[in-house]
Amino acid sequence: MILEGACFVAPQPDRGFELESVIPCVFQRLPHHHIVPHQSDSLGISRSVHSVTCVQPSATMGGKKRKHPDLEELLDRPWCYYCEREFEDLKLLISHQKAKHFRCDRCGKRLNTAGGLSVHMNQVHKENLSNVENALPNRQGLDIEIFGMEGIPEDIQNQHKERIRENFFRDQQQRYAATGNPPPGQSGVQGVTKKIKIETAEELKARLAAHRARKLAAANGNPAVPVDGQSPSQITSPFPAPQAGYPYPPASVPGVPGVPAVPGFSPSQAYPPVYPSGPSPPPGAPGAFNLPARPPSNTLPASTLPQRPGYYQNAPGAPATGYPAGASTVDELVSGGARQADVIDQMIRMAEAGVKPAQGAPEQAAAQKKGKKDKARMVYDDQETSPEEKMALLPRYRVPIVA
Amino acid sequence: MAPATQWEVAQPPHDAVSSLVFVPDSHKLLVSSWDKNVYLYNVGPNGAEEASLIKSYEFRAPILDACFGADEHEAFTAGLDEQVKRVDLTTGEQTLMSKHTAPVRCVVYSPEHSLLISASWDCTLHVHNMATGLASSPLPLTIKLPGKPHAMAASPSKLVVAMTARLVHIYDLPTIAKAITTKEPVVQPWQQRESSLKFLTRAVACMPNDAGYATSSIEGRVAVEWFEDTEKSQARKYAFKCHRLPAPEEEGGDIVYPVNALAFHPKYGTFASGGGDSTVALWDAEAKRRMRQLTKFPDSVAALAFSKDGKYLAIGVCPGFETGMEDYSGEGRTKVFIRELGENEARGKGAK
Repeated sequence: MILEGACFVAPQPDRGFELESVIPCVFQRLPHHHIVPHQSDSLGISRSVHSVTCVQPSATMGGKKRKHPDLEELLDRPWCYYCEREFEDLKLLISHQKAKHFRCDRCGKRLNTAGGLSVHMNQVHKENLSNVENALPNRQGLDIEIFGMEGIPEDIQNQHKERIRENFFRDQQQRYAATGNPPPGQSGVQGVTKKIKIETAEELKARLAAHRARKLAAANGNPAVPVDGQSPSQITSPFPAPQAGYPYPPASVPGVPGVPAVPGFSPSQAYPPVYPSGPSPPPGAPGAFNLPARPPSNTLPASTLPQRPGYYQNAPGAPATGYPAGASTVDELVSGGARQADVIDQMIRMAEAGVKPAQGAPEQAAAQKKGKKDKARMVYDDQETSPEEKMALLPRYRVPIVA
Repeated sequence: MAPATQWEVAQPPHDAVSSLVFVPDSHKLLVSSWDKNVYLYNVGPNGAEEASLIKSYEFRAPILDACFGADEHEAFTAGLDEQVKRVDLTTGEQTLMSKHTAPVRCVVYSPEHSLLISASWDCTLHVHNMATGLASSPLPLTIKLPGKPHAMAASPSKLVVAMTARLVHIYDLPTIAKAITTKEPVVQPWQQRESSLKFLTRAVACMPNDAGYATSSIEGRVAVEWFEDTEKSQARKYAFKCHRLPAPEEEGGDIVYPVNALAFHPKYGTFASGGGDSTVALWDAEAKRRMRQLTKFPDSVAALAFSKDGKYLAIGVCPGFETGMEDYSGEGRTKVFIRELGENEARGKGAK
């Protein structure tokens, strides 16, 4: 019984039909060497060009080496002039060139160079070779004698290196952005793009609900907070609670200069014990005054998550017992922080999985393969009716009725 | 070794090609078309790179298939007007052979048994014994089929009919010939098989050595099977993907084209497949290898035929009918190419 989908079981794998058209290239090389096709083509050349930038050199050797080759390593890799494919080893490159570009399509002889193939075609088959097979469109010429890495014009070598560099830095940036890891040699504080928090819809909803509940409680519990012209959220702002999980500050965040509501507050009402032992707070920055260690830049409106805890350093100074809402906030804060850590953990895990598709579990690969297969689009997909029958129904081909 | 050359037929049909067939003993090519005509071309009489129109024969309906009869003056046609006709290619005289109740999809002639067999969408085969002369067999033997036939091919001793629902029936031609003489009303298929391909069968071609056949489907796949019903023989069958192109980057996956045509080389047992992706590939059935892929043609490949000496390959090219098409016209885009094969171009290299 023939297994549809499992294409071709040739008795000898390398003697089967020319596999590049028959079998998806994913299967072509895996057993032979460690070149793993990239999910998407990082060179942006053609689908058949495999990128090896994400190869894990140790994947089949059991060791746990570096995950990503460094730039030097990438630049040193041999690559094929004709198809821009990279190889682990010069020997592999040469056998690739002989098999793909210098192979006689008449008798299968593998020559060493394009010139050699041309002479062979001329002498043996009396034919003229016009171009190199399987080459990129502008690299089909026979005029350049290529053998392995020898003979590649300098400008094209430079182009290739440039592309490797570009890709390398782009990938690196993406990795850093995705994992939140700082580049080596830089401390985490300076990483501006560090840790993007992405909240799911559920998390947002949960947070909104918690916020509303607290708001309501605050409004009921402290009806006497006398602030004119302030929105309810501003009214509750003396309590740290509403801000507990906020990734961005509401209008009334202390420390944001120019928020009109802030001077209207009397923070002393809320936090009498911590209030001024030093100079009176500058208007517009009442919350920041007692955090001398914090660099001024942290008080900018772009107060993203890392700054949050800093803001709440105010709270412990306040007698928690006097503000039951405050206690719950701390809990909230802790759990929120944990949740956030989970999210980041997960992001790192995802990023790792994304960057290293080869490491994915077999079933994941299978799922991917299946997805790929499902995507196949048939230009004619009617199982019951042949194209001829459909054509026969067209008015154009209607048969004149004869008496 | 002569280099392979290829040229286009002058005065091609005005609409889609439905079939191509070479005259058994000379280099004449018969082309049936949806433009209600059958054309006879002279293909490179002395190796000249030209193919000139000898004659065209007009019918009242599109012709879905054509074949040669006992000699090069006799041809049979399968028409959309439900009729099977005999055409005298010298005089142009047309004789009604058989009348189905639905368009006739295929027609084959078995010279070994002098049988004319037509397959129609009315789910029947009509069989005429041409040896006894036209007059003596006015009524054909009718064989009921379980599904609509879409492709049919004959080897020296077998007839393979591929139908909807992936049904494949193999009839034994000597049995059919005997049934006609003894006037048996029912002929059972020699073998009933389910297609090895999951999708609608598009084309069937039989091996010239009477050993097996190849089928192709609308889903870019070809299967090769053997007649012999032994486990060992059946284990040899295989299928493979072909005639697919990678889809644009953003879509991913492949675009899968139907394999519209199959033809076995009469000498080497290799075969050619033609697909909606406008390419023709030559395959070595024994070695399971692709030997060659011909350069892309301007449109979908609709039909293929090897000349009986294996010297020429005719390729019928016209726009392919695709899902979702509201209208169809092969006008102006229908072409017939003749490829003179190099001496070893179609020869298999043997299983290595």
